[in-house]
Amino acid sequence: MIEMSYGILVFMLTAFMVLEGWDFGAGLIHFVVGRNESDRGVVIRAIGPLWIWHEVWLVAFGGMTFVAFPAVLASAFAGFYLALFLLLWCLILRGIAVEARGLISDPLWREAWDFAFATSNLLLAVLIGVALGNVIRGEPLDAHGDFTLSFFTDFGVHGQVGILDWYTVSIGIFILVLFAAHGASYLTWKTESTVHERSERLARCLWPIVLLLLLGATIETAIVRPDLFTGMIHRPLAWLALAGVAGGGLAALFGQWRRRELTAFLGSCTLISSLMTAGAVGVFPVMLHSTVEPENSVTAYNSATDIHGLRSMLIWWPFAFVLAVGYVAFIYRYYHGKVKAGANSQGY
Amino acid sequence: MPNASIADTLRSDSEALGVDAVHGLRSRPSAIRLPLIWHRENSMNDPAFWDRLQFAFTITYHYLFPQLTMGLAPMLVYWKWRAFRTGDESYIRAARFWAKIFGLTFAVGVVTGIPMEFQFGTNWASFSRYSGNLIGQTLAMEGMFAFFMESALVGALVWGEKRLGPRSHLAAAIGVALGSWLSGYFILVTNAFMQHPTGYAVASDGRLHLASMASYLGNPWAFAMFAHNQMAALVTGGFVVASVGAWYALRGEHPGQARLYLRSGVTVGLFASILVAFPTGDIQAKMVATHQAPALAAMEGRFHSGTYAEINLIGQPDVRERRLDNPIRIPGLLSFLAFGHVQSDVRGLDDFPEDVWPTNIEILYYAFHIMAGLGTVFVVLMLAGSVQLWRGLLDKSRVLLWLLLCAFPFPFIANTAGWTAAELGRQPWLIYGLFRTEQGVSATVNSGSVVFTLIGFVGLYFVVGLLYFSLFSRELKHGPEEVSHD
Repeated sequence: MIEMSYGILVFMLTAFMVLEGWDFGAGLIHFVVGRNESDRGVVIRAIGPLWIWHEVWLVAFGGMTFVAFPAVLASAFAGFYLALFLLLWCLILRGIAVEARGLISDPLWREAWDFAFATSNLLLAVLIGVALGNVIRGEPLDAHGDFTLSFFTDFGVHGQVGILDWYTVSIGIFILVLFAAHGASYLTWKTESTVHERSERLARCLWPIVLLLLLGATIETAIVRPDLFTGMIHRPLAWLALAGVAGGGLAALFGQWRRRELTAFLGSCTLISSLMTAGAVGVFPVMLHSTVEPENSVTAYNSATDIHGLRSMLIWWPFAFVLAVGYVAFIYRYYHGKVKAGANSQGY
Repeated sequence: MPNASIADTLRSDSEALGVDAVHGLRSRPSAIRLPLIWHRENSMNDPAFWDRLQFAFTITYHYLFPQLTMGLAPMLVYWKWRAFRTGDESYIRAARFWAKIFGLTFAVGVVTGIPMEFQFGTNWASFSRYSGNLIGQTLAMEGMFAFFMESALVGALVWGEKRLGPRSHLAAAIGVALGSWLSGYFILVTNAFMQHPTGYAVASDGRLHLASMASYLGNPWAFAMFAHNQMAALVTGGFVVASVGAWYALRGEHPGQARLYLRSGVTVGLFASILVAFPTGDIQAKMVATHQAPALAAMEGRFHSGTYAEINLIGQPDVRERRLDNPIRIPGLLSFLAFGHVQSDVRGLDDFPEDVWPTNIEILYYAFHIMAGLGTVFVVLMLAGSVQLWRGLLDKSRVLLWLLLCAFPFPFIANTAGWTAAELGRQPWLIYGLFRTEQGVSATVNSGSVVFTLIGFVGLYFVVGLLYFSLFSRELKHGPEEVSHD
């Protein structure tokens, strides 16, 4: 039951990374692919009416962590205190930017919010990458499972680490480029005319860089957490995920070159979800790895809710999940197809 | 200002936890068996001071928006439904206009709501560890059942009318309304657990475990609070709609829409103002009287026990002397309201050890009285409005229109005061009778970090508020659009 709860959490975080990943990516590059206000409007409308729904995956992931592994939530949220609030403020700024932008049709107003939107997306992509890097590298957990992280210490990856070190920063950059490429593939598929062409050109440049950075990140991870790969060897799911990483990466790269827009985009989605799965399988059951003393690590087993609570959660979760997807299926019927330029200047 | 009053609350609260600052009698009793986290002794003597202030500020600010969306949602559904059934253009216009206001308010509610969930982990980690098995359930359910529904449908409600067509658009409106009320229910179950815990067991490791999901979700306190709170949200919705109607009526703009808003707003306002007091407020008060007796005593400024307990209409509590100055009283009424008989014995604060007294009696007393007083004024105002509405004279009664126009901030104040009373009445407990507030804070987070994030929130929310007001007034100036026939 604990494994199942862990699986649900990984699934939800992965869904967030894939879905909101393309929104972040599109926001990151919308000054590159949208040189004027109306083109940027196309990008915003391509993100569409569902960006809040995408973001809810993160909120719901937090809620599910709360119920399934309260001890993880307690140590991690308190430990990453300042970084989490920074993330939160960026999410708030981004939400305001995308909503406020459409309300007044004035070039300066829209430019200001476009800028706020791009900046907050940039920061969010790096922060999320750094956060993932921190989860893999580990935190200086004490015997109570508590820790405090300063933003940086000596930029090393052992002992009293900080949020930023050479490893987490490089993962942050990797995720930034990955999201940008993911967003470019999405916009290539979802838009037409100028935004489409620019996105396609950008995606073709970005995907080879992503795959190079992925190689680098893999080597770095092998140095920082060698046990992660030994963990993967004994788990068939990890092999499947690694195959997904390879397949997705190739599909994203070659699909883009052969103008198979949907193939490229789906390849990009597969790459991100397989990376998340491979990582999650590799670290299991450790959820918060202690860089100070391995015994202090918080695992899925020593942090889970009592059995009755987990069982209740596993009973109601599937219903909620089916409903959650159902609303989107209802809405999506009206929003499929390419986004047209200038059709609707207000809102989506 | 509600926010300032909460700041004052917490300041005096921290003094109360100290040795002998203002209230000579309120020295910290030595009989506390529970371990306290004293790492933040410098934060005005209350280890949880800054965390409480941050939570109080962010929740007070946040809740200004959901109360309006929860109040508007049923009216929006009603207009959409009428438009769908009759094809009447005035309902279509009203639904479109208020959907925009709804969308704007909803967006601010979403962005200010996410920090609330975060703070359970960031600032109240010990509380999360202790009770996450239970309160995590409802917070996760809110995300899974309510947020997904609202977030998928709200964009379609605000911008998707043309694409969706009338039937699906009505469905989206119903979905958003349902989602917003469901969200409220899950949050109130969580709060009800903190007010009156049910469905839990204490495990061998000292933490709370879920014993019965049915009795956790079916907490009687949650039902009472939900009924009371949703009526209060409808009061806000009704007053805001009536106020906008009065604005247009006084200016002579959009006369048909003005009449519709006045009619809907005053009707909803009247029913909700009555229902919020009776039966829902009455049930809630009886529950407080039974389960949180010290809170009731503090709300009424009652220091001494006795029969024929009086309601104090006005008066200033003097906690040091344990008396109420300059009171105007109605004898026996409190006994009657709390227990059904005028001669019932209602216990005063003297009957309880000081370590279970609410930590700020003055603010608790005033918050409760402001809520109850405003509630009474609301009924009177909406009765007057309804009489004129019934006579067909409302859009010509300038004095009444002015009153309705100027009344719009007061439901927000009453809602804030009501919540202040509920939350201060719960003190000194985080979970009533089980877990004290100062035990709940994150042991690893220092107050410097909390002050930093609090300042960040104040700055960010100031900008959000400016933006909201300017966009709201812009919509108001722009007014409901004519229905185009293309």
